[in-house]
Amino acid sequence: MKRILPFVIIALVLGAGLFTARYLQRASSENPKPVLTPSASPVATRSTGNPGEPGAEPAHALGDAKAPVTLEEFGDFECPPCGVLHPILKGIETEYGPAKVRIIFREFPLVPNHVHALAAARAAEAAGLQGRFWEMHDMIYEHQKEWHEAFDVRPIFEGYAKNIGLDLKQFAGDINSEIVERRIFLDGKRAHSLGVQGTPTVFLNGNEVPFESLPPEKLKPLIDKELAAHP
Amino acid sequence: MSSVNETDRPGLARRAAILYGVIAFVSLIGLADSIYLTVEHLSGRSVRCTITSGCSEVLSSPYATVRGFPLAGIGAVAYFLVFSLATLAAFGYGMVGKLLTFIVAAMFLTTLWLLYLQAFVIHHFCQFCLVSALVTTTLTVLVSYTQLKLSRR
Repeated sequence: MKRILPFVIIALVLGAGLFTARYLQRASSENPKPVLTPSASPVATRSTGNPGEPGAEPAHALGDAKAPVTLEEFGDFECPPCGVLHPILKGIETEYGPAKVRIIFREFPLVPNHVHALAAARAAEAAGLQGRFWEMHDMIYEHQKEWHEAFDVRPIFEGYAKNIGLDLKQFAGDINSEIVERRIFLDGKRAHSLGVQGTPTVFLNGNEVPFESLPPEKLKPLIDKELAAHP
Repeated sequence: MSSVNETDRPGLARRAAILYGVIAFVSLIGLADSIYLTVEHLSGRSVRCTITSGCSEVLSSPYATVRGFPLAGIGAVAYFLVFSLATLAAFGYGMVGKLLTFIVAAMFLTTLWLLYLQAFVIHHFCQFCLVSALVTTTLTVLVSYTQLKLSRR
């Protein structure tokens, strides 16, 4: 018996390890959200049993409110995978057009891991108060590697604000305003209510898109299925 | 694989069993850590770290994979091997001791290389990678101590 016992222990640990890996994998990618299905209804808050908190209103959205497909992204401007997703969503926006696909961006800065994420979110929201959210959003993502390494990002974001034609005095005041703070808080509240755990997390018509399905060659067929189901 | 207790002295065998048991236990910590890291790597998300700030930078860096396979997964296999060999050694399969020493030495050298990458190339530290480095260092000390103790007898 003593000769067999170590092999039994090793087999048990192997089994426990595989079970734990499977459990963690399910928890991180499938979590409580339903799997994407072609039969999902077109509006984000309809297709799941859990519509979640409303988030900041009005949401930052590109595209027609009646578009059959809504992509809602919870993003952190400092997270590298979010920076990779940015041109993908831009490509989808261009390819499908506003009548077919609506893109919503929600703030989910991963603080304190990403030390400049909150400052970036504030800068984007402050630009939004002057109607230039998406211009600042694009500028911040496209230059992510430049400001990510900086010690003080404030002058960099002020430079972006100047480039996109913002009123700098108003921008400097808005960046620390309560309304900007509240918008970020409300988006975060919505994220938590939907069970968002990391970034980027994208919902397609209310169903979470698994991270591994975010490359364009996998995301587009999902969008096409939704469009076919809701012509 | 021959059964051991190469010595007739039960005190020494008991001491070896305890030391290898401790090594097996410590390797379980590394195994749990690397399983978690592997799953996080495969999920590809930027996750919250609680102590350091560089998890996503380290996990999404090109050094996090070897020919497309997550480095953390290789770590999990290595920790499982260490656990298996230490368990066998604890039950008297003494021949595995040298293989265990070789694997732990290779893991320690890899750990030094990964620490260098985090400090000087990626410029970020991932707390889970640091836990793994600590576990591997502890294993190195334990295995060295065990080998030293057993070879003196």
